[in-house]
Amino acid sequence: MSQDTSDTSRRDFLKAAGGAAAGAVTATAGCTGGTTGGNGDGGGPSGTLVYARGDHPTNYDPQQTTSGEVAKVTNQVFDPLIRFEPGTGGQLGDSLATDYSLDGTTATLTLREDVTFHDGETFTAADAKATIQRFTASSYGYYLGDENRSGYGPFTFGNWVKSIDASSDFELTIELQQQYAPFLRNLAMFAAVILSKNQIESFSGSGDPQVKLGEEPVGTGPFEFDELDNENNRVRLTANTDYWGAGPNVGEVVFKEITENSTRASDVINGDSHITDNLDSQSFQKLQDSDSASLLSKNGINVGYMAFNMDRREEFRTTAVRQAVSYAVDTEAIVNDIYQGFAAQADQPLPPDVMGHNDELSPYPTDKAEAQSLLEEAGVEPFEFELATFSNPRGYNPSPIQTANQVKSDLEEIGFTVNINQFSTFSSYLDYTDQGKHDACFLGWYTDNADPDNFLYVLLDPKVPMDAVPDGQDWVSYDTEGYSTLNAAAWANQEYMETVREAQATYDTAQRKQLYKKANEIAHDEAPWVFLDYARTLRGIHESVKRDSFTVSSVGGPYLELVEIE
Amino acid sequence: MVSKRFLLKRLLLLIPVLFGVATLVFGILHLAPGDPARIIVGQRASAEQVQQVRAELGLNDPLWVQYLRFLGDAATFEFGESYQIAKGTPVRDVVATTLPVTVELALYGQFFGILFGVPLGVVSAVKQDTLTDHATRVGALTGISVPIYWSGPLLILFLSTFLGLFPASGRIGSTVFLDNSWQLFGVELPLTGMVTVDTLLLGNVDAFVSAVHHLLLPSLVIGIYSMALISRMMRSSMLEVIRQDYIRTARAKGQGAKITVLKHGFRNALIPVVTVIGIQFGSLLGGAVLTETVFGIGGIGTMLVEAIGATDYPLVQGTVLTFALLFTLVNLGVDITYSYLDPRIQQ
Repeated sequence: MSQDTSDTSRRDFLKAAGGAAAGAVTATAGCTGGTTGGNGDGGGPSGTLVYARGDHPTNYDPQQTTSGEVAKVTNQVFDPLIRFEPGTGGQLGDSLATDYSLDGTTATLTLREDVTFHDGETFTAADAKATIQRFTASSYGYYLGDENRSGYGPFTFGNWVKSIDASSDFELTIELQQQYAPFLRNLAMFAAVILSKNQIESFSGSGDPQVKLGEEPVGTGPFEFDELDNENNRVRLTANTDYWGAGPNVGEVVFKEITENSTRASDVINGDSHITDNLDSQSFQKLQDSDSASLLSKNGINVGYMAFNMDRREEFRTTAVRQAVSYAVDTEAIVNDIYQGFAAQADQPLPPDVMGHNDELSPYPTDKAEAQSLLEEAGVEPFEFELATFSNPRGYNPSPIQTANQVKSDLEEIGFTVNINQFSTFSSYLDYTDQGKHDACFLGWYTDNADPDNFLYVLLDPKVPMDAVPDGQDWVSYDTEGYSTLNAAAWANQEYMETVREAQATYDTAQRKQLYKKANEIAHDEAPWVFLDYARTLRGIHESVKRDSFTVSSVGGPYLELVEIE
Repeated sequence: MVSKRFLLKRLLLLIPVLFGVATLVFGILHLAPGDPARIIVGQRASAEQVQQVRAELGLNDPLWVQYLRFLGDAATFEFGESYQIAKGTPVRDVVATTLPVTVELALYGQFFGILFGVPLGVVSAVKQDTLTDHATRVGALTGISVPIYWSGPLLILFLSTFLGLFPASGRIGSTVFLDNSWQLFGVELPLTGMVTVDTLLLGNVDAFVSAVHHLLLPSLVIGIYSMALISRMMRSSMLEVIRQDYIRTARAKGQGAKITVLKHGFRNALIPVVTVIGIQFGSLLGGAVLTETVFGIGGIGTMLVEAIGATDYPLVQGTVLTFALLFTLVNLGVDITYSYLDPRIQQ
């Protein structure tokens, strides 16, 4: 909103002049412009909310995808049992379950009554059971199939759920294989939303027939799935007037794809779209400078990092070497100059706002002299290594190539030789790092459930048995049985592993918090990664969106049922 | 008259061309790094799960087995279902949905190209070495030189954001949705997928106006390149024609300059231009890919780029072969037209 009045006047004048010249076209094409909102005469919600995004998936089955673009839509159509409260950064609240508890290995949920699916069927515990079985149980007659289900199947339920009891319509009991503190948070994840048993069983069996569910998903959410327009890359949802919760406040939501960042920003500035996201820093700047749109931001729950592969490079097995590199890389310049202030310097694996973040830690300061002194003390000469990176921006690393060049030049100042190895597609990149072929690599993580376990256990525990790590060694080979390649550093610090494993099974919040603080401190000091950044979550909105009706969500959402347009 | 032998020969030549393209696409895709199974299950999945999916998709089979399977599919133009981008949908259906979007855009681009390119070329030739000629030539050179990914955003910034004349994205208003079919004498018929045609078939005038309003800017962007090329070709062809003896004869007989140029010169000069227009249509399809990306229009080009990024083998293979087939057919059409106009080419 920093544009001065003289600019605005000139633009208004040109708009008026141009508008007159193009009057013939624009006068008759008024239907194509911005949309109107508010409640119509009929009393129900009216108006169309247009959400511009960078992708248009064509299958909206939450169990078949890992895509956030699918989740944006399915979160409007389906409800989870427990949800993340809007704008809270991950606080749990009631959704289809009104009461829930986790005691030992038993999760007990009381379900909301009088909720109906969009096809008119009543929601019961049987729907929740069928949903979980479709995702995880190959013995279920309507199992989605190994080749169709996303990695969230085992990640959310499969690795933990032992049995499900849905014998009562509105009581659900889930028996776990072991104590697992994050389980209730897993129930709030986008992949855990509740599908209709009626719809699941309307397909002819398991495997490929189930794939079709994503073309006309039926849920209990605030909006009904109305039309998938693949010719114009749009999805239309209509208001569910029988929704059990607050809203919806608009009659329709249209998601439309505009891949080009600057065009997407222009579309919001022009008022053709109301909300957009996932822009680059230039486009955010454009929105910030506009007088018809604004930029909303919130601390994101994510982390960007550079992992040292200790399995592949012996030099990285020395803590002092990893610390030296951490001192040499100027992360302050990365977040302020390259990410243009849309991120904060990271100092530990867990981002702020998540339980267990250790406020006493601070980022490694840029200190080349200290870096050199650490290398000398360790008796290690600076060496040549490969830094693998993806090419296309990701939320936690909006400029990967520039970041890689910054790391290269910082390290070359103290004698290292860094060879940047860039990959054109993220899939080929993950393929490479999954096989442990990198010396060092850039990666990052968005939260799934705002639980500390989702960062600390998932990304830095190798998930091998404790006795698989030789005494006195703080790394394991990628070939170790059960090794999780999500730990791209091959780091296996026994004290850290014991701490996060204990925390995973601890239900006392205060105790758990202390354990995670300790784990963060170990990770900070041992430096298996260069902690790069925590990116902010940003959204561009048009002025017609009532400001306090839209909240930026760092996990869950977007909560479009609450949005009002003027 | 085009001989059957000539036609048959050209049609048979399509087979090795398409076979070559198919082999090349298969080779490049399978040599390139990336694993479709990893894309399907995502970053959270374990290595075992990735292996399981690879086995289900037949990606663990020897490469030659996969190649033969692919050739068999390609021969019937049946590439199976998309792995990821349009998961669960047959490739044939995806192509049928997205191709008309791109073709429509390319056609409008071509329309603008001809509309402005031909008269500019004629004027430039007739007024050779004048200010008009120089301006036209510089304009044409600029049109050829400026890439779409630069001219597109620039025009959006100026005509859309700054002047507010055109929408910045899409090919129809965000809130305008069309029916899936139309009726003729009570018979339900499918739509064409071309939005300006479909809105007319449905009798929805508001939607038609909306579609025209949305397509004007992207068509103009894609048409600039076409216009530049056509005007340059038209100019040189016209210059050649107006120096011919029969033009001089016509003028000597007392015919007016305008009539001579338009009646005798223009028609003859048009022959090589028609050829260029035809051949260039294939390039316009490529240009449409860029334009779609800039303007957020979801045609086959945008889809292809996404499919490559996701290593969606069936979709990439099917789409590239469709493009190759279309390109060769357009070229064949041009050859046939040209041989009709100039029978010597059949020799």
